[in-house]
Amino acid sequence: MTARFAPRRAPRATLLAALLLAGLLAWFGAGLHLGDLVPRGNGTAVLGEFCGAALRPALDYEVAPPPGSPPLLAKVLEALRLTVVFAAAGMSLALLLGTLLGFATATAWWSEGAGARAGLGARLLRRVGAPSLHVALRGVIAVMRAVHELLWAVLLLAAMGLNSFSAVCAIAIPYAGTLAKVFSDMLDECPRTSAAALRASGASGVQVFLFGLLPRALPDMAAYAFYRFECAVRSSAILGFFGFPTLGYFLQLAFANKHYRETWSYLWALIALVVALEVWSGALRRKVVMR
Amino acid sequence: MSAHAPSDARWREVQRLRSARPRSRALRWSVVALALLAAYAWLAGDVALADFLTARRLANLRAFVADEVWPHDLAGRAGDLGAYARWALARWREVGASATLATLWISVAAIVLAGAIAWLVAPLAARNVTAAAPFGEPPRHDAARRAPLFVTLRWTARGLAILMRAVPEYVLAFLLLAVLGSDTAWPAVLALALHNGGILGRLTGETLENLEPAPLRALAGLGARRRGVLLFAAVPMALGRFLLYFFYRFETCVREATVLGMLGVVSLGYWIQDARTRQFYDEMVFLVGLGVLLVLLADLTSAVARRWLRRS
Repeated sequence: MTARFAPRRAPRATLLAALLLAGLLAWFGAGLHLGDLVPRGNGTAVLGEFCGAALRPALDYEVAPPPGSPPLLAKVLEALRLTVVFAAAGMSLALLLGTLLGFATATAWWSEGAGARAGLGARLLRRVGAPSLHVALRGVIAVMRAVHELLWAVLLLAAMGLNSFSAVCAIAIPYAGTLAKVFSDMLDECPRTSAAALRASGASGVQVFLFGLLPRALPDMAAYAFYRFECAVRSSAILGFFGFPTLGYFLQLAFANKHYRETWSYLWALIALVVALEVWSGALRRKVVMR
Repeated sequence: MSAHAPSDARWREVQRLRSARPRSRALRWSVVALALLAAYAWLAGDVALADFLTARRLANLRAFVADEVWPHDLAGRAGDLGAYARWALARWREVGASATLATLWISVAAIVLAGAIAWLVAPLAARNVTAAAPFGEPPRHDAARRAPLFVTLRWTARGLAILMRAVPEYVLAFLLLAVLGSDTAWPAVLALALHNGGILGRLTGETLENLEPAPLRALAGLGARRRGVLLFAAVPMALGRFLLYFFYRFETCVREATVLGMLGVVSLGYWIQDARTRQFYDEMVFLVGLGVLLVLLADLTSAVARRWLRRS
């Protein structure tokens, strides 16, 4: 390679300038005015009360609930539990689907395939069949992931009615798409040295994949899957806005009733859960990926 | 493996390598814990599988796919693509075009703002920048006295970033709507900018911490101040990484901007929610489709930008 004396930052400067220009255009396009950042109507009062409640979340109902209601903290814990349950169910389904789709769309299957001794059928499969399947599956994955989990929820609600499994599917479908894309990229981008060694000693395409590529990519895949679980918890919480019994449902209700301290109880519960998962996954990532 | 009898020296070497492979107890227990959690989620009875595929729901689904998603005026001619295109064009002119554009502007404004927030947070959160002796510069005589100040500053910035990214955009927008009202796009823009600013701030901060220390230390040793090293060495060195993350978050931003409209800010989601409450599922599905096209376009743009960045 020849030495490059041109400053390497030149394209980045162009890109930065383009981004600033795009931001400026978007500012006018979205009709933003700095003046609109000032709360209007009773917005100031809401802001004051809501922020004031942040450091004193409710430990009990602000207004006496109907008789027979569980204590507030029990309600918060139950919402938290269901948030985790929907996230875990959705994520496990997504992991299954995403792994299958991710393996199927990784190009390493066929681009790292068997040698020249393969028959006509195998060669045809590798030259035509596998690539066209690859493109088709990539399209499916892109659409799965392009529809937001809340929109999947809306579609499933319209098609099937309110049902807990709809919430699981709403998480599982887009997350499977994301996992499939990232997994296949990781498999394709991981170092090919051990794969090449296996192929040289006569391993088949599948063997090369399972023993040469997969172990190399697995730590990254696991770390990414854990990170997505953290995202799934947030998605699961938000699904509550559409009637599922997760944190979002109770948060919305408490806020609409102006019970700001109760709102913060749910909000702090969500923050604690997400931060705990982030700390856990961060510690694992440092152990696994940076080894 | 019959070719390798257990007495084979080669096989013993394989066994030795296998038992010497790096293992982590924390990792193993985490996997077990997560597997148990997944099993619990399916078995606890909160996910009603049996209730999902009842005859009534299947009839609903059939009606939805075969009838409701097709335009009303196409009754009985569901396969007529020309008629569908004419109907779609009319919807596109009515609300589709302006809503798609509004969604795009909201997401672009939000991600640029998030980038700005990230650069405010990142240096404050980075261990090598916000320290009594930045960039490994020789410590000053009062370094020990000033250290607690920097630790406080660093953890305040980190705490703020954690709060910003722990609260989902949707919840942030929901809360901001009550304060700012729905006749401005600010609730959506701010919600997206804060959440993504928290994420980008953390990622950029980590990038700053992981920079090659030698050039920074050399500059600091020559007498450059914190400000100078940061602006003229650390930021340019971290910029490429930052832009990669920036474009990766842009995709998500477009997806989320669509959805935030369902709360009342006028983006695609607003009209999706509108069609949903009127039970005009044909329009709803069409608008979701527009959202998909916009996201795919954003995906493509960011993939091209990232490839360009990697190459340069």
